[in-house]
Amino acid sequence: MTVQALRKSGTEPSAPPARAIVPLRDLNGIVHLLTCGSVDDGKSTLIGRLLWDASDLYEDQRENVRKSGRKAADSDLPDYSMLLDGLVAEREQGITIDIAWKYFDTETRRFVIIDSPGHEQYTRNMASGASHADVAILLVDARAGVKKQTKRHAAILDLVGVKRVVLAVNKMDLANYSEDVFRKIEADFRTLCWKFGFWDATAIPLSAVYGDNVSTKSAAMPWYTGPHLLEHLEKAPSRGTAASGAFRFPVQTVLRDGQDFRGLAGTVSSGSVNVGDSVTDALSGRSAKVIRIATMDGDLKSATSGQAIALQLDTDIDVSRGAVLSASEMRPVAAQTVEARMVWLSETPFDPRAGYLLRTVTDLVPVATLEIKALLDLETMSSHPSTHCNVNDIAVVRIALGRPAAIDVFSDISETGTLMIVDAISGASIAGGVATAVNAKADILGDGHFILTREMLGNGLCRDLSLSSTDREEFMRRANEAAILLRAAGVSVAIEPPPMVDDGMDPGL
Amino acid sequence: MTAAPSHLDLLEAESIHIFREAAAQFRKPVLMYSIGKDSTVLLHLARKAFYPQKLPFPLLHIDTTWKFRDMIAFRDKTAKDFGLDLIVHVNEDGIKRGINPIDHAPSIHTDVLKTQALKQALDKYGFDAAFGGARRDEEASRAKERVFSFRAAGHRWDPRKQRPEMWRLLNGRLGTGESVRVFPMSNWTEKDVWRYILREKLEVVPLYFAAERPTIIRNGQILMQDDARLQPKPGEEVKMRRIRFRTLGCYPLTAAVESDASDIESVVTETLNAQTSERQGRLIDHDQAGAMEKKKQEGYF
Repeated sequence: MTVQALRKSGTEPSAPPARAIVPLRDLNGIVHLLTCGSVDDGKSTLIGRLLWDASDLYEDQRENVRKSGRKAADSDLPDYSMLLDGLVAEREQGITIDIAWKYFDTETRRFVIIDSPGHEQYTRNMASGASHADVAILLVDARAGVKKQTKRHAAILDLVGVKRVVLAVNKMDLANYSEDVFRKIEADFRTLCWKFGFWDATAIPLSAVYGDNVSTKSAAMPWYTGPHLLEHLEKAPSRGTAASGAFRFPVQTVLRDGQDFRGLAGTVSSGSVNVGDSVTDALSGRSAKVIRIATMDGDLKSATSGQAIALQLDTDIDVSRGAVLSASEMRPVAAQTVEARMVWLSETPFDPRAGYLLRTVTDLVPVATLEIKALLDLETMSSHPSTHCNVNDIAVVRIALGRPAAIDVFSDISETGTLMIVDAISGASIAGGVATAVNAKADILGDGHFILTREMLGNGLCRDLSLSSTDREEFMRRANEAAILLRAAGVSVAIEPPPMVDDGMDPGL
Repeated sequence: MTAAPSHLDLLEAESIHIFREAAAQFRKPVLMYSIGKDSTVLLHLARKAFYPQKLPFPLLHIDTTWKFRDMIAFRDKTAKDFGLDLIVHVNEDGIKRGINPIDHAPSIHTDVLKTQALKQALDKYGFDAAFGGARRDEEASRAKERVFSFRAAGHRWDPRKQRPEMWRLLNGRLGTGESVRVFPMSNWTEKDVWRYILREKLEVVPLYFAAERPTIIRNGQILMQDDARLQPKPGEEVKMRRIRFRTLGCYPLTAAVESDASDIESVVTETLNAQTSERQGRLIDHDQAGAMEKKKQEGYF
């Protein structure tokens, strides 16, 4: 009798584990999981099984599954995919881009499942989902192995920067729990990992229906000595634990207490900062010393990646929203031109005459010109020259900015290398992607390139503004809007920045 | 910082980031304050986001006039203690028409005194962004909600106009007539809310704690007789029971649970080990199939 036959004859559905008292203490971090695969690969069943075995489901949710009488395919076991039914039904809503979020806790960890449809026409769904993931689970059917779709998924993960990947080889029960079958798929997967530089990759043979290697070691596959899925996921590093990397602090807003406090509010996006450190504004090159790291829970001596803080500097170097602070010797580029890989998210194709803006983490910059250079073929990873771009395409683009913005190359420092193209008129998110090269030179100056000069703006549109920092922000806002209008009329525009305030004092004082 | 951040540290930082992004990008934001535990956490996060500055936006409470008296007292005390700018809005027209949750279906009461009232208030003050405490774990129809959730003119939620969100980039550029609901607690769970209240030692409405209260059993649910507007029907009686609430809303629509959990630790323990999810206590959700989905389309949170 095969193992599979033994399984089928068994009548004992796995009982839900008795839950220990849930601790009041905080959990040890959060791991965001992206599940990639189609319904046919058993994705819903795998997530459902993981929830059933390992999570803090409420008893009423379990009871619903038991009472339904629905059975997983070819078995007497409950249909665990029901636990995701709410989400599946929601598929019909017609949201342009669907990502469903599901949360569960094990004894020690918070897991967030990011579920996005995996078919070919959903590249943009998967890319937006993947951009939030710490770990991706690539699901394949043991009988089919690594398919074209798996390669597409891997390419998208690579594009948005996911480096930790698990290959879940599902339905091993239908492949006689054969080691040969698994090893062959694992070898194909290794090839894929080398290609994309996934530096934490594991293949696990499992059966979602029967729970083999989901949250317990499978007795049917004694030849597999690696971790089961949950064990592997619980060891994955949580978000926000890496303090390495160069310091980056994108300024979100300026806080004032009505007295002498002027704090630059933001989230450390890379590295760490200490009181006493000298920090530099990438755009102006000006430096100041950090004299206070303020939070409502008291001042800190240092802060690391992921922490939301307010920095007070010893001198006012006139930075506001959109600025990125760093160490002076390792600054992001004050970029005038950017090369990027973008996933086209909008149903509206690229239009060379549309008005576009570029959103960085905290800045919004008018785009002087947006040029499509090539489209990427996800299966071969080769690019083909193109000047047009449609929904779900992945394009290599060149962006000339209307004024400089602080941007990093994504593969060096990820968060400050993330970009989004925004429609200037409707505000819609048009494309999302990553910077692959940044240049401080505006090398596109040529025919028809129009510069909005300070003089021009100061004598007219901005005549009522002083040189105070608030008015400086207003100056830039108006300049941006003027550039957008010109751009929408087909004029390539650059903005000359307003003058710096030398002494850090408002000149009116 | 030496220790790795806990999941609450990470959630808190994310919420602060969202608050700051919205405050920087929108012209006139407002914080939807509904007095319950989620609002308590939302307000606390907002204060952290802008410390030491005063909150750069007001609070808006939509008062249906059917809230528990303890809630109103707590609301006014909170506003006073933290020096907050509190706006209270009532749909006076709905009150004049005599709409109430006892004689009318919960869906009608909610639509007139909550959904319509909210739209009135947002229009009256011209708010272009409203912070809410909604979480994706609350209900299946919210599992796909964005952090910045766009509303077309007339506060309509158009699924096709929802924007993809990638990394930590939040695109708040509004098109003509658009406004936005901002959900800084999108990624929190019910359990996180309680854990955080315990950790941050936040004060909550006393109704969350067990006490002897006058109750009526109706349709198998325990209701509290908070004032004389709720009277027993023939066959019903008012009886003192030791109860508490897992969620708070309009008192005739909010079911209590019998409980001995009378302090924050025991409430949190009870909640974390609960066998049923929280919305069972909210009668409006059982009113009609797909109720939440419909309310969302109409502009309710």
